[in-house]
Amino acid sequence: MSTGEDLNALDDATFRATVRDWIEKNYPPEIRNPTKRLHFAENKPWYLALSKKGWLAPGWPREHGGMGLSATKQLIMTEEFERHGCARLNDHGMTMLGPLLIRYGTEAQNARFLPKILSGEHIWCQGYSEPGAGSDLAGLSTEAVLDGEHWVVNGQKTWTTMASDANWIFMLVRTDKTVKKQEGISFLLVPMDVPGVTVRPILNLERHDDFCEAFFDNVRVPRENLVGEVNQGWTMAKTLLGFERIFLGSPRQASYALSRLELLAEHMGLADDAVFRDRHAQFELDLADHNTLFASFVARLRRGETLGADVSLLKISQSELFRRITDYMLEIAGENAALIEPIEGNRDLNPAGLFLQARPSTIYGGSSEIQRNIIAKNVLDLPG
Amino acid sequence: MDIESDQTATDEERMETIRMLRDSAAGFLGSDLGRVRRLRFQDPGFDRSTWREMCGFGWLSVRIPEAQGGLGFGMQEYVALAAELGAALVPEPLILVGLSARCLPQEYLPAVLSGDRIILPAWQEEAGTLADAPRQTTFDGRKLIGEKRFVMHARGADAFLVTTMSGLALVEAMASGVSLTAEQTQDGGHYGTLRFDGAVANAIPDAPFDAAVADATLASAAYLLGLSERAFRMTIDYLKIRRQFGKPVGAFQALQHRAVDLYLELALTRASVENAATTIDSNVSGSQQRAAVSRAKARASRCASLVCREAIQLHGAIGYTDEADIGLFLRKAMTLINHLGSERAHRARYVALMKVA
Ligand SMILES: Cc1cc2nc3c(=O)[nH]c(=O)nc-3n(C[C@H](O)[C@H](O)[C@H](O)COP(=O)(O)OP(=O)(O)OC[C@H]3O[C@@H](n4cnc5c(N)ncnc54)[C@H](O)[C@@H]3O)c2cc1C
Repeated sequence: MSTGEDLNALDDATFRATVRDWIEKNYPPEIRNPTKRLHFAENKPWYLALSKKGWLAPGWPREHGGMGLSATKQLIMTEEFERHGCARLNDHGMTMLGPLLIRYGTEAQNARFLPKILSGEHIWCQGYSEPGAGSDLAGLSTEAVLDGEHWVVNGQKTWTTMASDANWIFMLVRTDKTVKKQEGISFLLVPMDVPGVTVRPILNLERHDDFCEAFFDNVRVPRENLVGEVNQGWTMAKTLLGFERIFLGSPRQASYALSRLELLAEHMGLADDAVFRDRHAQFELDLADHNTLFASFVARLRRGETLGADVSLLKISQSELFRRITDYMLEIAGENAALIEPIEGNRDLNPAGLFLQARPSTIYGGSSEIQRNIIAKNVLDLPG
Repeated sequence: MDIESDQTATDEERMETIRMLRDSAAGFLGSDLGRVRRLRFQDPGFDRSTWREMCGFGWLSVRIPEAQGGLGFGMQEYVALAAELGAALVPEPLILVGLSARCLPQEYLPAVLSGDRIILPAWQEEAGTLADAPRQTTFDGRKLIGEKRFVMHARGADAFLVTTMSGLALVEAMASGVSLTAEQTQDGGHYGTLRFDGAVANAIPDAPFDAAVADATLASAAYLLGLSERAFRMTIDYLKIRRQFGKPVGAFQALQHRAVDLYLELALTRASVENAATTIDSNVSGSQQRAAVSRAKARASRCASLVCREAIQLHGAIGYTDEADIGLFLRKAMTLINHLGSERAHRARYVALMKVA
């Protein structure tokens, strides 16, 4: 597999300048600061530009086509993307499935799937949640039954982000109903463009079709699409949730929001207001401390350590900071807080839109309440 | 019954009036939000025939003295009604047209109170300020020049009551020299920007504009209170039926405590809103009344924002869909928390007024 140049050799400042310069030259200006999450048809030029440059997967090892970047440099990259207002990609392949396959996949699975994530040929979505299985994910009931060389999948997934863009879904399915609920779950890779799969978009609170329901009606999937061992899906899913929490714990959203808070304050004539300055400083320190904590987790990961349940701290910290910053945007925006479109057409000034986007960040990827339960139980060892 | 002039009404009679007003409003409005949903993102964002019906019930006339063809009720009656409007997310501009009606001379009132003519107030010149003295709009007794922003429901107006550096002026929406652009708001309505380029207008002298704004601001706080109370009840209901881990999620103590925190916030808000209403109905000084109104609006804005944010969180992903009704409450709250003064602005005014007192 082709590997790009090793940017770890650069010092941080040079690295930052290199990234910034490249983004400025290559980012498609028409999709800067999108007010809504973009579909693949819209963000594809950026996806492909990163792909061509070899920058799609900063965290993957270089032998798999990633950048193998240090924690600090990954952070710098994130900051530069956010600073510029780069669109979020259809990134489930890069941030979730890729790391999982690298860890648990067979060589054949890696060779088959990883390059296609990097080329943009396979766009993935995550099929975990079901109408009856949200926080209680292990209660899921979509099932896969072995029939010769195929798994036959029946059931429904919901809240599946960007499922309407995806041609593949990684899903948790029940493969044994006779055992404890966590012990009868498997991890299956399912193509979406086959008979029996129906996707229906759901309008979210921004009235945008980010997420979907997906129905599976006797969908036949080759046996080798199961990752790891049969009925070992839960353990792997938990690892994957760990990756997800690292990703969701990255300061991406909060740092974007904080930079836009500053611009909003300027627009509102509050930039020098003492109360505003104090609140802003508080957010700035929250973000700086979060960044340091985040970097220490990423460094542990890169040393090959398995992260414990305390990774949930990152997810809580980041998502709730993102929420607080956007709550404050509404407080200072005056009547602008009501507007659907950005203020005066300036996409940097979009308080209501950002406020709405921040709402689900404490729900998806394990809600704040569930993350707290996990820490209380598995880290603090509290009874109950 | 004219509360302000007729001090003989007993507390009990008054409670009865309030109960009747509340029951009849709740009965008419019902609990189905289908109508509210259908009117979203359509011009003008409310329904003119429902508007006439509401006017027929006298909802627009609550604060107009009996001598002028109104009901002459006090503020306590008005906040009771406004809370019902909020619980039903009523999009019709009762509070704002009510503000105009308080300021208009007798000859204009019949057409307004019957619902034939919608006259909306236009006072705001920039975002985030209170309805204080205008700084830009001029009026020479005949011609209006200037710009007003954030005029809610503007496309549904027949005329505008405009604050100017020399008093109030009434201008027809279709008059030449008036132009209107609109921006959509989260609740499915819109904010208009009005530009006056020498439009011919009529002076409206001696209007009790500040008192009318105080009424409208407090009514808006009551609307937010009613909205928050219903969003809260819907959330409690959901916590009882949504099951995860083999039990209703409302069985988890972490969520029970959160529910109680919201309940406390609602209790504080109701206390503050009712106190402000009593204050306006009494004979205390204007600055004390304004301080009470600011306190109530600051509290109600904070409460609505908190309750609706938590309501979404406690609903989980379903709360983040357009099809779930709980979202309608958040989006209306986003539209109203900073309208007629934000929490920040009212907090500041409260402190300033208390320093003087
Ligand atoms: C924008 C968005 C995108 C999403 N994308 C995907 C996706 O791509 N793929 C996918 O599989 N899923 C996705 N989800 C679903 C997400 O994982 C679930 O929403 C989440 O797991 C919560 O489940 P729920 O929504 O059913 O809430 P519920 O589990 O019904 O929870 C309702 C409320 O109860 C609380 N609660 C539940 N149990 C407890 C407890 N034991 N103690 C205390 N509080 C509790 C919750 O925190 C929440 O506040 C997405 C969700 C959103 C909002």
